[in-house]
Amino acid sequence: MRRGLISRSLTELPDAVLDARLARLRAAMTEARLDALIIYTNNTRAAGVSWLTGFVPYWSEALLVVPLAREPVLVVALTYRVKSWIERTSRVAEVIHTPRIGVEAARMIAAAQADAEVGIVDLDGLSAGIVDDLREGGPRLVLSNASALFAKLRAEADPAEVALATKAALIAQTALAQASGQSLSDVIAAVELRAREFGAEEIYMAAAPDLGRDRRFRRVEGDVSAGESFALRATVAYKGAWVRLVRSFGRAAPNDQAAARFAAAVAQLPGERGFDAFSSWLVEGCRIAQPLEPLMGSQVTDAKPPAPRALVSVQACLEIDGRPMLLGAPALLGGRGEAAGLLVQLF
Amino acid sequence: MLAEERRRRLLDAMAQAGIAEMVLYGNAWQADYLRYAADFGILEGHGIAVVSADGTTELFLDSATEAERAEAEVPGATIHIATDIARAVGARLDRVANHRIAAAPRRFVPNWLAQKSRSFALEDGTALIDTLLMHKLPGEIAVLRRAAQMADDAYAVFRQAVTPGRRQYELVADIEAYLRSRGCPDNFMIIGSGGKDVLGMTPPSERSIMPGDLVTTELTPALEGYFVQICRTLVVGKANDAQRRAFDIFREALEAGIAAVRPGATAGDVARAENDVFRKYGLGDYTTSKWTRVRGHGLGLFCDSKPHLLEDVETPLVPGMALIVHPNTYHPEAGYLVLGDALVVTERGAEVLCRTPRELFEVAA
Repeated sequence: MRRGLISRSLTELPDAVLDARLARLRAAMTEARLDALIIYTNNTRAAGVSWLTGFVPYWSEALLVVPLAREPVLVVALTYRVKSWIERTSRVAEVIHTPRIGVEAARMIAAAQADAEVGIVDLDGLSAGIVDDLREGGPRLVLSNASALFAKLRAEADPAEVALATKAALIAQTALAQASGQSLSDVIAAVELRAREFGAEEIYMAAAPDLGRDRRFRRVEGDVSAGESFALRATVAYKGAWVRLVRSFGRAAPNDQAAARFAAAVAQLPGERGFDAFSSWLVEGCRIAQPLEPLMGSQVTDAKPPAPRALVSVQACLEIDGRPMLLGAPALLGGRGEAAGLLVQLF
Repeated sequence: MLAEERRRRLLDAMAQAGIAEMVLYGNAWQADYLRYAADFGILEGHGIAVVSADGTTELFLDSATEAERAEAEVPGATIHIATDIARAVGARLDRVANHRIAAAPRRFVPNWLAQKSRSFALEDGTALIDTLLMHKLPGEIAVLRRAAQMADDAYAVFRQAVTPGRRQYELVADIEAYLRSRGCPDNFMIIGSGGKDVLGMTPPSERSIMPGDLVTTELTPALEGYFVQICRTLVVGKANDAQRRAFDIFREALEAGIAAVRPGATAGDVARAENDVFRKYGLGDYTTSKWTRVRGHGLGLFCDSKPHLLEDVETPLVPGMALIVHPNTYHPEAGYLVLGDALVVTERGAEVLCRTPRELFEVAA
């Protein structure tokens, strides 16, 4: 559950940006002949609704109803007592509180048009109980999957998204620079403290405690010793924008040459060839509502290459003299014919 | 090992119910069912564990980063990365479509997986898993005791952190860093600060702490996935008479609730005991859903587990259940106050796990 700073900044996410996104959505709905669109949110799949409203639930769940001809309405399972918090941290015309969000969302749409065409983002992945409730609240509504429509709209990052992701990356970079302490727990605590003090909405820390034995990241619990080479991964959210940074320490600390090889591989994205010399790699980004979904990589069988001007986070492993070095940073893909570039330097 | 004990208990329960495959859904909000079976604390995306009667566990995750972590943290399970986990799990269940398959929590599984057109049918196994989640093993209680100590220690750090001028999110940063330094990987925490204008707690904001503020928090650290909560209120400066009078009512309500905890009582009985104290002082309106959500709840692999302590919840209390009793609500003369202690139901009543005094704390203004 989210416990970092959730706040709205009219400077970083102005009304005009949200209006422009909504206008693009409505144009796509018109073209698809949809009367309304529904997007689900909870604290792990918040990126769809937060892209349109800034709303990020710290727990529980909600549906954003976007009628074609009226202002969006947020139907939340959170209690009425947090209404003012929702209004402070997001931009929605109306907030309705009910434990059965599906029933209420469908009733609202059906009240205007009983047989309305309703697009649902990620219909297949939506909770079965909510879909049952949508059918109960609007038995004549025609439900269809609007995932492709929505994914196309947000494939290319707009300047506000790029700015928020860059801020998240700077928070992660600054926090990882604080990585010091007597134990691995102390190191992680120092990084997390810094990130949260800088206003991170969330930070997930993972460590590969001894790269000589295992290069896989894990969450650290209890007393865990660091080997002579270890790596940290900071997954940081800032006002709905998520990035990952990976840094190796000790004997595996990256040098300029490794950083240059990583940057050169990233520059070729969405082409894969740049990662030929890496033992593993992963590109993640937001397509619909999950902030960092696997898009392509050495373990990803169902690749969905990112579009031009998409925001991604890249992790990779480079073997140098038989020793693994883990690297990772967010990047912005180039426009047609342009190279992708890292949002921040590796170190 | 605790995870192995849970797995054996799950397999016994499946055998008794005649269920051949159990499908357990989880995400970072509702992670307890998945954690119980697969011992994986999911943070990103969806996860589904399929546990077969022969004890094999397959874990399907739609985040590649989480899948790598699961491979490191859950060596006994087979891990699958699938961007569409509903169809990946569906393909797995197609092979056993003639078996009895149950899902928990059934209403959370992806819609595609639950459709009637599938080759298999998913029965509702939620109640079966709920029973396992609520009725703790001795090993689970032992972890809860350690987590309660962590909660007490973290609240002591919180009291030191609250000083005028600091922002709410900076206080939370201190607590999270403290918990990480102790090797505690997770926590749920909300906070409130101010006067009678504050109606509840939320994630931290940019608001600065001011002299005279009431500062409320519920702190919920987790060890091995088990959450234990403590709720306390402090005043920045000297508490005034209205705040003290109000706090005395909350303390009386908490003590009444704890006294009502015993085998044979229901969750509703505990809530009623708390609420009766408020009604005695003419504050019955403030026990309604307009002002408060629940009067406590279960603790365990989710920070807001069943049973919820509400007057209409008839879940019987049995030894081995873990609860927090918290009569948190708004008081018209003082503002929003919280006070709550975690406990375990024993044959003799409640064993309170929290050791922090039930005081309205004061910190320097």
